[in-house]
Amino acid sequence: MTAPALSRRRALGLFAAAPLIAGCAFDPSAIRVGSKNFTESFVIAEIYAQALEGAGMRVARLFNLGSTQIAIAAMQRGNVDLYPEYTGTALIDVLHLPPIADPAAAYATVARLFKQRYGFVWLTPSPMNDSQALATTRAIAEGKGLTTLSDVARAAPTLRLATIQEFLARPDGLPGLQRAYGGFQFREVRTYDIALKYRALLEGKADVASAFTTDGEIATDALVVLKDDRHFWSAYNVAPVVRGATLSARPAVARVLDAVSPRITDRAARTMNAAVEDRQADPADVAAEFLRG
Amino acid sequence: MNPASIRFDNVTVRYPAMDRNAVDGVSLAIAGGELVVLLGPSGCGKSTLLRTVNRLVPVDAGRILVDESDVGELDPVELRRRIGYAIQAVGLFANMSVAQNVGVVPSLLGWKRREIAARVDELLELVGLDPAIYRDRRPSALSGGEAQRIGVARAIAARPRALLMDEPFGAVDVVVRTALQRELVRIVSELRTTTLFVTHDVEEAFRLADRIVVMRDGRVEQAAAPFELFDDPATEYVRRLVHAGDDVYRRYFARGRELLRAP
Amino acid sequence: MNYLISHPLRVAALAGAHLELVAVALAVASIVALPIGILAARHPRVAPWILGTLGAIYTIPSLALLAVLVEWLGLGFAPIFVALVVYAQFMLARNVFAGVTGVDRAQVDAARGAGMSPAQVLWRIELPQAMPVLIGGVRIAAVAMIAIATLGGYVGGVGLGVLIFNGLTLHQPQMIVAGSVAASLLAIAVDAGLRAAERRAAV
Repeated sequence: MTAPALSRRRALGLFAAAPLIAGCAFDPSAIRVGSKNFTESFVIAEIYAQALEGAGMRVARLFNLGSTQIAIAAMQRGNVDLYPEYTGTALIDVLHLPPIADPAAAYATVARLFKQRYGFVWLTPSPMNDSQALATTRAIAEGKGLTTLSDVARAAPTLRLATIQEFLARPDGLPGLQRAYGGFQFREVRTYDIALKYRALLEGKADVASAFTTDGEIATDALVVLKDDRHFWSAYNVAPVVRGATLSARPAVARVLDAVSPRITDRAARTMNAAVEDRQADPADVAAEFLRG
Repeated sequence: MNPASIRFDNVTVRYPAMDRNAVDGVSLAIAGGELVVLLGPSGCGKSTLLRTVNRLVPVDAGRILVDESDVGELDPVELRRRIGYAIQAVGLFANMSVAQNVGVVPSLLGWKRREIAARVDELLELVGLDPAIYRDRRPSALSGGEAQRIGVARAIAARPRALLMDEPFGAVDVVVRTALQRELVRIVSELRTTTLFVTHDVEEAFRLADRIVVMRDGRVEQAAAPFELFDDPATEYVRRLVHAGDDVYRRYFARGRELLRAP
Repeated sequence: MNYLISHPLRVAALAGAHLELVAVALAVASIVALPIGILAARHPRVAPWILGTLGAIYTIPSLALLAVLVEWLGLGFAPIFVALVVYAQFMLARNVFAGVTGVDRAQVDAARGAGMSPAQVLWRIELPQAMPVLIGGVRIAAVAMIAIATLGGYVGGVGLGVLIFNGLTLHQPQMIVAGSVAASLLAIAVDAGLRAAERRAAV
């Protein structure tokens, strides 16, 4: 039976083989590393992923998952094996507990409760503390004598705040500050996209901006971070959170990541964030450079 | 080889879209080796009746008996492999060569490769085509006349004991058609195959038939040898049909056909 | 464009994963669509219902379907794979139907009359002659799936979509452009390649 060039038998063969090829390509033995949907999460997750790959393990990246809720759900369903989480976020957004400013205490609490409730293990945390902050320009700080949050709380009626939507809603955002310090009744509050917030500050459209202490933009002399004198804000140390089952099967994961985490300091974080946000660097490149030392 | 007998026993076929029966209570007996022509205008039911024999058309009442076996109780696929079938559009398989087309029924019946190849060559010669030239041709490279010859070759390839033909020479010019008709008579009498042949062309009917079955509106008007139709039409319709055109011409051909079939 | 030039290997790797995802989904989709299309061809009265249903499914916005699939299957490779297989059905089954019913009716009649079983008519006459139309369907589906597969980047999948959605989150337009351009080039190449196969399959 003459057949056209793409013979029926060959076509059938290709189709039958495809699922086999698929099985090999989409590797079930790969460790799935997740990240949330902001720059720093990407960078740290990349560091974890590349560290594991450097130790000879196969890694599948499920980055850009979305919010904390989505990441936790993904972990619970077993779609993701590990991801970078912050002690503060875990405390407040996941466990719905009040903030703990002391880094060690915060870590101990979340580690214990995550193990209990989810079977997730917190590996060694990094010194990096990505907590919240308020920032202002050096000019305004010196001009109005602002060094602490208490100063800002009092001077608020003369100041314009630039912030993101989340800051106004979360319990440890503006509402929490108002309760903890009193005051903080700003003359004007405007929300911006997370990328444009600092520009408003630098262009004089706002006087104070909400911030994260590892934001790359702060790494400049023009901006100043105000001191949390009442220790309102929680510690936000990052650590790999791993599914218990994964850790039991691959204990080397702990060894590899515990070696890397201590190297992630505030300064390293700011530098990496700045590289990605200002210089449009690829998080993968930034992470690789970090790991090289 | 013994040619098969074909018998229609009160056959009725209904099509839902029509307000009358396509075939209405037709009874007809065809002896082995006869070449019977179903003659009538389009829509008279002749093609439908033809296709009940190999079960391409299901019947709503009555039976068709091939060698006194009710075809309704046989496996249709096996039945069709033993009955030759040729249609006006020919329907040569475009994705196969001429040889593969001609050899299709033998191949379905499990003949050996060499047997099939030999038979194909034999048939191509029988229908007047040089095997060396035509064996590997594709249907798209054939003229109308060549295609219809190959259609006939395909229909008789497995030496069927019965042959069904639906206006197989309809789509070619009159010169080619005449030649094909002459050859068909020769082939069919050599092969001793019972043949049921459908046409609307009265002259073709007279040229080929041992008996002609005139049909109208799903019923048989008359079934008789050509001369009988001529000399003794059963109805006004038959008379008009047969006597239209040139009488002498028709007489001549009817006689010529009879001479061809002399014992 | 700069990202494309500065990270060619990364883009190539993602493009490879993208192609692999689409190829496997296409293979599975074809295996599913072939019997559906043949069923429609064999039962012309039911055919509009079958093809109509598949067409309706096709109009469901991809993101919505994906969200539902993520609910059932979780994140990662699975939801985007299933979404691709589902969306491809309309294009593939429709072309199987058109290809098989488009075969010369006289040849099908002659085939049945010669004593081929329905399966033999399908395998020996209808499918071989329907091949160009079938491959055409695969071609159309492949190009559409290359586009839809970019949504995989939203649900933790693989492929160029990862580049696009990362670019969106990180506010790096270069990544978005690189991912989009690479996907377009992929689509053009696949289209051209399958057109060639379509031509060669013509009887």
